[in-house]
Amino acid sequence: MTGDRYPAADALAQRGHWDDATRRVILDRVYNVPDFRHFDDHARATLEALCARVIPQDHRPRERRVPIAPWIDERCASTVVGGTRFDDMPDERTAWGLGLRGLDETALILHAASFVELDSAGQDSVLLAVRGGHPPGQIWTELPAERWWIHIALQAISGIYYSHPTAWDEIGFGGPAYPRGYTALNFGAPEPWEAEEVSR
Amino acid sequence: MKLHVHLSPNWVLDTDMREYRPADEVDFCIVGTGAGGGVLAQRLASFGFSVVALEAGPWHDSETDMVSDEAGSGRLFWDELRITGGTDPLDFGANNSGRGVGGSTVHYAAFCPRLHPSDFRVRSSDGVAVDWPISYDDLEPYYERMEREYPVSGPAHFPWGRPHGYPYAPIQAGTAGQMLLKGCDALGIPVVAGGPVAIPAGRVGKRPHCIMRGFCLLGCKVGAKSSTLVSHIPDAVANGAEIRTGALAHEIPVDSAGRVTGVRYYRTLSDGRRIEEVQRARAVIVAGYAVETPRLLLESVSARFPDGLANSSGTVGRFLMAQAGPVVWGRFPGPIRQYKAPPACATTEQFYETDPANDFVRGYALQTVSPLPIAMAHLISGEDGGFGEDLVRAMEEYNHYAAIGVLGEILPAETNTITLHPTEKDRFGLPAPYARFSRGDNDRRMMDAGIERATAVLQAAGAIEVHAVDRYAHLVGTARMGFTPDDSVVDGWCRTWDVPNLLVCDGSVLPTQGSANPALTISALAARTADWLRRAVPAGALAHRPAGPAAVEV
Repeated sequence: MTGDRYPAADALAQRGHWDDATRRVILDRVYNVPDFRHFDDHARATLEALCARVIPQDHRPRERRVPIAPWIDERCASTVVGGTRFDDMPDERTAWGLGLRGLDETALILHAASFVELDSAGQDSVLLAVRGGHPPGQIWTELPAERWWIHIALQAISGIYYSHPTAWDEIGFGGPAYPRGYTALNFGAPEPWEAEEVSR
Repeated sequence: MKLHVHLSPNWVLDTDMREYRPADEVDFCIVGTGAGGGVLAQRLASFGFSVVALEAGPWHDSETDMVSDEAGSGRLFWDELRITGGTDPLDFGANNSGRGVGGSTVHYAAFCPRLHPSDFRVRSSDGVAVDWPISYDDLEPYYERMEREYPVSGPAHFPWGRPHGYPYAPIQAGTAGQMLLKGCDALGIPVVAGGPVAIPAGRVGKRPHCIMRGFCLLGCKVGAKSSTLVSHIPDAVANGAEIRTGALAHEIPVDSAGRVTGVRYYRTLSDGRRIEEVQRARAVIVAGYAVETPRLLLESVSARFPDGLANSSGTVGRFLMAQAGPVVWGRFPGPIRQYKAPPACATTEQFYETDPANDFVRGYALQTVSPLPIAMAHLISGEDGGFGEDLVRAMEEYNHYAAIGVLGEILPAETNTITLHPTEKDRFGLPAPYARFSRGDNDRRMMDAGIERATAVLQAAGAIEVHAVDRYAHLVGTARMGFTPDDSVVDGWCRTWDVPNLLVCDGSVLPTQGSANPALTISALAARTADWLRRAVPAGALAHRPAGPAAVEV
């Protein structure tokens, strides 16, 4: 069971101690989750299934789960030309579209079903094949699987998840410390306003 | 124009900044405002020259534009399209050049070690790479000045390279930094704490002291960490320099005599409109980082310079070096909370120099690095692509990790390059820069040895599990300094061999990189070049091309 190491943690409850600019950015992230506007229904379902395997949140009630897929959809909808691009990769938006179709292609070859139709173990077997770099499927002959997995899929999904106060509570990160700063620097001690770790 | 920019909570750069018209022929147009350009603007303006510094990004107001949030800080980083390839492609990400006044110093960790004397004669002593046309002695007085101007905190006695002490007392290390000290101590490895890092342990001028927030890599809202934005730019403005923001340089025009006449740039206005202008200047200094500097020179093609400006040697864009920066992290039984205190707080340079017992030449430093949650998740997921419960459980140990960065010397290779991509265009329609990087055998052996050493240190400190990921940082070398017009782009004063009134003054000019974070060296070179220009311009030195060996005085 995950999520029980810092039961008293509640980074969001500290919002009154944050500076205005920081508070605006984080509350916007928590409360203004964008609607889907880029991917079609099937791609959206595939993306949501992928996110749920990379960061399992089954143990949380639905309303407590950190939304991840909407932010990836938003990035793909609004991406302008920019950032770092590996010379063997397409742009990020194209890479997402191709990769999601690639998951389906591999799922069909391995299990004769689309990715979203598989159970967790079946989905994981597809993802392990992608992670290994040589999944079956035509798309993966053009899209480097390992690169897509680490630099597109995992970077985005883990980056979005660990930008959320709920994830901070899970790992015992207290959230923004400006302007008050830290004074407890020795022995890995928490500040008075940070949660203690209770179980190991 | 009126400036109103917070540099710290209680310090506003609230002043009238001098503005020039593009048609005004200024003494110097500088491209970039980072470790090189920021210091040059300050020096040259204070010497009485007229200066316009072009900056592609904005002013970052510490109160409104910087946030104490990892995911919300993207605007600090250069995010124009870059294509990356080679056998070890560089992932630029948030780790390299900056966008905005102060350049990458706004988001560097602020480790500010000097190079060692040996770094300037690697060819002579180790038979690899090249020697510099200048020596440590040439740069030493400027290191001393920059250590006071940034300023740099550190131990009273720093035992490596040419031993020296620091003007400001060491800053306090957090628990993660203490693990590096503990592990080194257990193994008998000399180590220092509290610097060299450009975060003063006390108040400096209007800059408050550090609050130990650990957000150095995402902009210092406090104003404690040094960046040229707070250390040199305010003085540049006070001395009459114009910092022109939203101005992306894309060509340096030349006249029929082969002299540069100014800088052509796209300027994004406050209403979002984009215009093209040329700032006229009697001399141009390019300080745009080791990717955009060669890019700008290569884009500046003319009948007289068909292969790009200042490129008669063919070395513009070649000898790209990234510093090796593998991150090694250990899991400890007790809590560490590595996000507290500046990530840069302890180091050892005991393995910096060539050791005949190694199967490689040159070496590496070990330094603290303290990834915030997203950076840590990227390290963990990047190690072997783990996901699901494995990833979430590994991240639940976040507060039990201490990380060490191996900062190692990659040797220059002609085949590691920045070129213009043949087909990909950025959002301005300009050819995207194309970085190709493949590490060599010496580089690989050095990195493996560094990871092994960092692993031993973490284990000696009590880590029960150690992981490592290869990384790279600190790009330099693509407009190298050398001895003759045939082997390099600039001479020892950072002046291009081919064009009398064009200089390059940033990390691009470094012929080798050592195992020291480059910012202080870049600023020291800029201050030295500015001193030379103060003498050379009145003497008419920019009327003709450099004649001979670089270190010759005017």
